[in-house]
Amino acid sequence: MAAREGRPDMLAYLLRRVVLTLPIMLGVSLVCFALVHVAPGDPLISVLPPDATAELRGQIAAMYGFDRPYPEQFLRWLTRAAVGDFGTSIATSRPVAGEIWKAFGNTLMLAVLATIIGFVLGSLFGFVAGYFRDSWIDKLASFVSVTGVSVPHYWLGMVLVIVFSVQLGWLPATGAGPGGSAAWQWDWTHVRHLILPAVTMSVIPMGIIARTVRALVADILSQEFISGLKAKGLMERGVFRHVVKNAAPTALAVMGLQLGYLLGGSILIETVFSWPGTGFLLGQAIFQRDMPLLQGTILVLALFFVVLNLIVDLSQAALDPRVQRS
Amino acid sequence: MTPAPLLEIAGLTRHFKLKGGLFGRSAGVVRAVDGISFEVDEGETLGIVGESGCGKSTTARLIVDLIAADSGTIRLGGRTLGVDLELRELRRQVQMVFQDSYASLNPRLTVEEAIAFGPTVNGVSVREATALAHELLVKVGLEPKRFAGRYPHELSGGQRQRVNIARALAFRPKVVILDEAVSALDKSVEAQVLNLLSDLKRELGLTYIFISHDLNVVRYMADRVMVMYLGEVAEIGPVESIYARPTHPYTQALLSAMPSMDPDQLTREAPLAGDPPNPINPPPGCRFHTRCRYATELCGKTTPSLFALAAPRHLAACHRAIPGSGHPDAPRRLETAA
Amino acid sequence: MSVTASALGRPTPVERSPGYWAGVVRRLRRDPVAMVALAIIVVLVLLAIFAPWVAPNDPYRSSMIRRLRPIGTPGFPLGTDELGRDMLSRLIFGARLSLLMGVTPVFVAFFVGSFIGITAGYLGGKVNTVLMRTIDVFFAFPSVLLAIALSGALGAGIFNGLLSLSIVFIPPIARIAESVTTAVRKIDYVEAARASGASAMTIIRVHVLGNVLGPIFVYATGLISVSLILASGLSFLGLGVKPPEPEWGLMLNTLRNAIYVQPWVAALPGVMIFITSISFNLLSDGLRSAMDIKA
Repeated sequence: MAAREGRPDMLAYLLRRVVLTLPIMLGVSLVCFALVHVAPGDPLISVLPPDATAELRGQIAAMYGFDRPYPEQFLRWLTRAAVGDFGTSIATSRPVAGEIWKAFGNTLMLAVLATIIGFVLGSLFGFVAGYFRDSWIDKLASFVSVTGVSVPHYWLGMVLVIVFSVQLGWLPATGAGPGGSAAWQWDWTHVRHLILPAVTMSVIPMGIIARTVRALVADILSQEFISGLKAKGLMERGVFRHVVKNAAPTALAVMGLQLGYLLGGSILIETVFSWPGTGFLLGQAIFQRDMPLLQGTILVLALFFVVLNLIVDLSQAALDPRVQRS
Repeated sequence: MTPAPLLEIAGLTRHFKLKGGLFGRSAGVVRAVDGISFEVDEGETLGIVGESGCGKSTTARLIVDLIAADSGTIRLGGRTLGVDLELRELRRQVQMVFQDSYASLNPRLTVEEAIAFGPTVNGVSVREATALAHELLVKVGLEPKRFAGRYPHELSGGQRQRVNIARALAFRPKVVILDEAVSALDKSVEAQVLNLLSDLKRELGLTYIFISHDLNVVRYMADRVMVMYLGEVAEIGPVESIYARPTHPYTQALLSAMPSMDPDQLTREAPLAGDPPNPINPPPGCRFHTRCRYATELCGKTTPSLFALAAPRHLAACHRAIPGSGHPDAPRRLETAA
Repeated sequence: MSVTASALGRPTPVERSPGYWAGVVRRLRRDPVAMVALAIIVVLVLLAIFAPWVAPNDPYRSSMIRRLRPIGTPGFPLGTDELGRDMLSRLIFGARLSLLMGVTPVFVAFFVGSFIGITAGYLGGKVNTVLMRTIDVFFAFPSVLLAIALSGALGAGIFNGLLSLSIVFIPPIARIAESVTTAVRKIDYVEAARASGASAMTIIRVHVLGNVLGPIFVYATGLISVSLILASGLSFLGLGVKPPEPEWGLMLNTLRNAIYVQPWVAALPGVMIFITSISFNLLSDGLRSAMDIKA
């Protein structure tokens, strides 16, 4: 009965959340578009020869559509972006979309692996800390999690390279494959390249998930019916199952959001490891002042983050109907 | 005979739109307060009773415009709000004491700062306002030396409520609205605060609007009682008259559910069953008919209006009391020689 | 025990309780972790202020003949960098720009974000909708991405870096400010103050600010560590501070190729960022529990 009543509610909530996301997406696109126009200097500087005539400049500007009024440029850019056409890279003259998808795949692989490592370690530390609250194990686990969120991860990457590549020579320092080969394969020669960047990247979600899980576990264990469970002799196993069941939705939601942050923030780590992902692409776009590439990459990453947020919200609501109300 | 009432409320209405549905459209309207009218005489205590959700607190907040009214007029001392009475003046003269003594006091202000705040925003110097605060602390039975410099979390519930009373009195108001002001207190503390309120009323010539769900307390405090049901006035009248001859079946049910202090007066009628209907879509006709044992077809169709009963100033909105209403229990219409 | 003085219209001398902030300071002083973190931060700030007197060498003087000396070299206790400049002096001077770049954005965002959030929260209605929906758009970007996109578009430089980071931290602070203010606004004492005829400004000053700035402040202190890492990260990418200024992130960048020659010298600037960042995080945690604010 309750379930039957709940369904249209859930559907309405789902539709409402999806519809509310559209203006956000539009705003995000506007910000991405505006970035180019707050940028000082000529966006064509990288393609024009230093002695270019005003006429040539005008022709090239017309080619990229830079001579039109802003609203028109925005609409054109937006309608094209909607069908996956982000224009042509000013630096390489190749379609931006292709470059982004290739790089996005590499970054996604890295970020997913890092999130999984971070989630497993973070849950473990958080659970142990929350379970043995205020013991020395808790203090140690808490210290590990504070370290995770405080460490400059690009520096950690350098340190790992120093130890495992320079000193020990166990793992490669940079790239996504031997000899800068482009095609990724799931074999040891390629996976070796993934280990250091993924471990480095996992440190932040580990710290945050450990904090979240510790608080959740401590909170659940402090509730009265847990002592009731213990009194009934349903000792450790029952309690364990109960805690996991109650802490999992929030922990998974945090994990989902962390994946989004890692994807968007991968630039620092990709720079350290020369990992050919979106971050690397972003750096390239910035330093070559390749505005179509910059716009496109940021838009894809930001929209992915918005959609990820939406998915996390909806799955939260599906798991826990109380979320819909708030 | 009676002087002009101090406070006159006419047609006060507030509906809340419920947000919900697919795109945040209005999903319904809560008729929290639906066209109520009453008067309060100078120096009297008007009790307002009813179940939670009946609109008692909303009424209080509407009077001082903490919630904006949809319609209705508020007159104080013969002057009309928005015409020849400014809101600022009304708010100075009509003060409120809330139920939650802790939430009513800013945790970052000391007792004297909390009491002095009102006068200072109305132009009194901090020094004078502080002196006034100490004076009022004495009046509410708290020794300034010990309490003026304390923070709310260091006080007991009763002490905090005394501070709240002093805070309200610092405006030198004519009317004090006590919104469940003693409901959260222990019984013994409650009695002390009630006595304090009676003393202050006598000493300062105050007028009270005393909102409570506790009918024993209302009987002790009030001169007249107004019974509210789902945003409407069900019955209003002098306290003796209401308690002795309750006319509206709702009032009767409330009174019979009241725990009596007198062992001889055992509960005779069945107390109210169930919760009040949803105020989002109140039933048509008399709003009480869904829970009323005298309800007939008429009650589900026609809304009864307040009707003056035999006792002076005693009115009830029940078809059973309105002559010629068509209800089988109603008295016959008085034949007038037309 | 007499109350006669009040009858004369003069305030009686009263017993005063220690205020809320006195309690916070007392609790903070009993927290050894927070105190150690605070001490480290104070030392770093002092080093930054008195850098010219503390640093043993000129942080800009390079020398081609003593490049990349190891830690423990006489006269250069922490070695030299890729241009032969004294690492210790550069690390000490680096505290200036690194702290400035890390702390200022949070400071700016604290004021701007609080202003936006408190306004939206107190006024509610349409003002709230317009302000918060705008904030939501910026909140829809992962913070690192937004910082890099903005400073990438604006170009390198200290001011552009500060501006980008400030913009990044305004949305989260405004959101917190809005939610605490909305909560406080509904509490009875604000209702009572409104019923007193006080103006909106007076109510915000006396009743709202005192109760919302604390939680917002604690939240903001928690962002300093992120801001430090991000600010140095921008310089690390070549987007913030420009050479030859000493700044820890920039130093990590220029020393990146030196990891094969003097790995531990190359890692030193990161140690400084790490120590500073963890100290701010631990102090923020201590402050949070001293102020009794739920996470």
